[in-house]
Amino acid sequence: MIITFCILSVFIIIGAVSTIRLHNIVYAVFSLMLLFSAIAGIFLLLMAEFVAVAQILIYLGAVGVLILFAVMLTHSVTGSSGKNIYSNGWGWGLLLSLSILFATLLPAIYFSDFPSDPAVEIIEPSVKKLGMEMMHSCVPAMWLIAILLTAALIGGIVIAAPPQKR
Amino acid sequence: MLPLEYILILSAVLFFIGLAGVLIRRHVIIMLICIEMMLNAANINFIAFWRYNPNPELHLGPLFTLFSIAVGGAEAAVGLGLVIAVYRFYNTANADKFDMLKDS
Amino acid sequence: MQDTLNLFVMNIGQWLSANLGTLNNPDQIIVEIARWLRTEFGNWGVVGFILANLMATVPLIAVFSGCFALTTWLERKGLGRIQNRYGPNRVGPYGLFQPMADGIKMLLKEDIVPERADKIGHFLAPVIIMIPAMTGLVFLPIGRNIIAASIDSALLFFFAIGSIVSLSVFMAGWASHNKFSLVGGMRAIAQLVSYEMPLILSAVVVVMFVGSMNTSVIVEAQQIKSWVTSDAPALQCLGQVLGWHVFQPWGLMGFLLLFVSALAEANRSPFDLPEADSEIIAGHLTEYSGFKYALFFLAEYVNTFAIIGICTTLFLGGWNGPNIRPPWSDDPQALLIPGFVWFFLKIFVLMGIMIWIRGTLPRLRIDQLMGFAWKFLLPLAIINLLVAGCFYHMEWYFGWPFSILILCKSYAIVVRLNKSKLVNSNRTYTYA
Repeated sequence: MIITFCILSVFIIIGAVSTIRLHNIVYAVFSLMLLFSAIAGIFLLLMAEFVAVAQILIYLGAVGVLILFAVMLTHSVTGSSGKNIYSNGWGWGLLLSLSILFATLLPAIYFSDFPSDPAVEIIEPSVKKLGMEMMHSCVPAMWLIAILLTAALIGGIVIAAPPQKR
Repeated sequence: MLPLEYILILSAVLFFIGLAGVLIRRHVIIMLICIEMMLNAANINFIAFWRYNPNPELHLGPLFTLFSIAVGGAEAAVGLGLVIAVYRFYNTANADKFDMLKDS
Repeated sequence: MQDTLNLFVMNIGQWLSANLGTLNNPDQIIVEIARWLRTEFGNWGVVGFILANLMATVPLIAVFSGCFALTTWLERKGLGRIQNRYGPNRVGPYGLFQPMADGIKMLLKEDIVPERADKIGHFLAPVIIMIPAMTGLVFLPIGRNIIAASIDSALLFFFAIGSIVSLSVFMAGWASHNKFSLVGGMRAIAQLVSYEMPLILSAVVVVMFVGSMNTSVIVEAQQIKSWVTSDAPALQCLGQVLGWHVFQPWGLMGFLLLFVSALAEANRSPFDLPEADSEIIAGHLTEYSGFKYALFFLAEYVNTFAIIGICTTLFLGGWNGPNIRPPWSDDPQALLIPGFVWFFLKIFVLMGIMIWIRGTLPRLRIDQLMGFAWKFLLPLAIINLLVAGCFYHMEWYFGWPFSILILCKSYAIVVRLNKSKLVNSNRTYTYA
């Protein structure tokens, strides 16, 4: 269990660091795909198989392809991202994120008392219970998500469409 | 078995890398990708806490994570539509050059 | 060495005498062999552990690669006959060794990589496309208790893994550093992503009825249980066939939608614009030659088998067929003809229909293709979902006329809405 977690976390860290440090954008997106697959693996490790499948279906299958399409459509031929890929204020940005990690997140984890074993050893992965839960107590959330996705769909198409010729 | 802290540290480090990526990189699409990375770190947190909960039969962890994934997908779609529209105007994807509204 | 061989032969003899004496459960013969092999491997330590875990996947890959070879032969002969010519008939009796000749040719071809192509991407794309193709085979219930992975959300896993194909197609199109391959790859991805919607929506109807996404549960639910467990052989035969989902009104519509979307997902004609024979550019496969092209070809056919397998599992009853219970056995679930016979029969029948469609129908243009997915299949799939939901709660005398009426009417409406507005829609054909 720990070995699997270590292997998956190595893949996650490699994927994440390559995403922010690679010069070639398409390679950065491919390492993001590696990251998403490893995160799906972590979900499987934590016995949440429906979420792992949803992660693969949505992030790898749909959002990944969307990002690649956007890279395609905004790719400048001269490759201006070749020389300097870091923005002007990169020092302050790095300082801010390091301080959030070391001053906020890690102390919160360190000083809290967390269980070292899961409370329930074996969870039966059950899609039926998830569906019942979703349709009984989370119906308003489902409606909101439906409206949100419809709005995002229509809005995305309208924003990205080429300007109409009069 | 695995102590909970390890998973939380992993998700904290992933969040840090995503945040650093948004603040460091110039390319708009990489910024959007790093926002997705931060969302994924939060999702790992949700599932980890659900797993180590003494009452996981309610399946609230995966449920909330599904909504989070859906919202993340919708936000990526709209964000990339915006990137395409902005690129059409500025002809570059370098965020430092989006300065028409700058007061100078 | 000599005594392990002796042990092996003695074990075979024991197993044969114990099991074939009565042959209580004729359709479980593969399950019995697997169980015997697993107990054997348990005695062999670490190597045995690895072999026991490979026992599920290696036969699957081997069998479906054999099916792939048979299908290439069948396709060439079938297309040849449809086009009024013989297919290949030189290489073996009736040309049966043609796939071997094809394989040798593909292996011996020179592997040309363009000079400015992305070497890593160009190399990885055929490798990455094999992963979803092969992994999709794992969820097919080939017989009773013969399934490689019986997971609670197997159907969703299958669709999730099938959506990774578009990533590999992009990699192939991008890494070739060729504008035509890029545009071809974009078109292929647009087609794959558009046809995922009707595919998943048609499959969701079955999940709604059966109540589970586990493929073996879906196949079990397509038997009429009260007839199958009775004593009359005729009722047992009919009970295994008449319960298929394709014989219900929402099932027929769902099967047709799923089959058409499967044709499009597998890039087969009439949806094979990315890789058509008569197009000058082969789309994302332009810069691939030799073994890499063979890998793409293999992945496409194995993907086709996986999707056809899901079609038969969901709508055509999977491994059910007109079986009877053997009169000498005392197990109420035993069957005379093993289930995998019916499964492979159905797969080859559907593959034959796909080959027939390929030889008969003309190819669609890219705008016709996308319009077909979004404006025709998707509304029909959603209406099918609604009708199936209503059908579930109605009695049979009310549900059947209602659903047939609504489905036919909605089909007519969608056809009328999609009629092309060209002036010369009525064409006159003159035959030579």
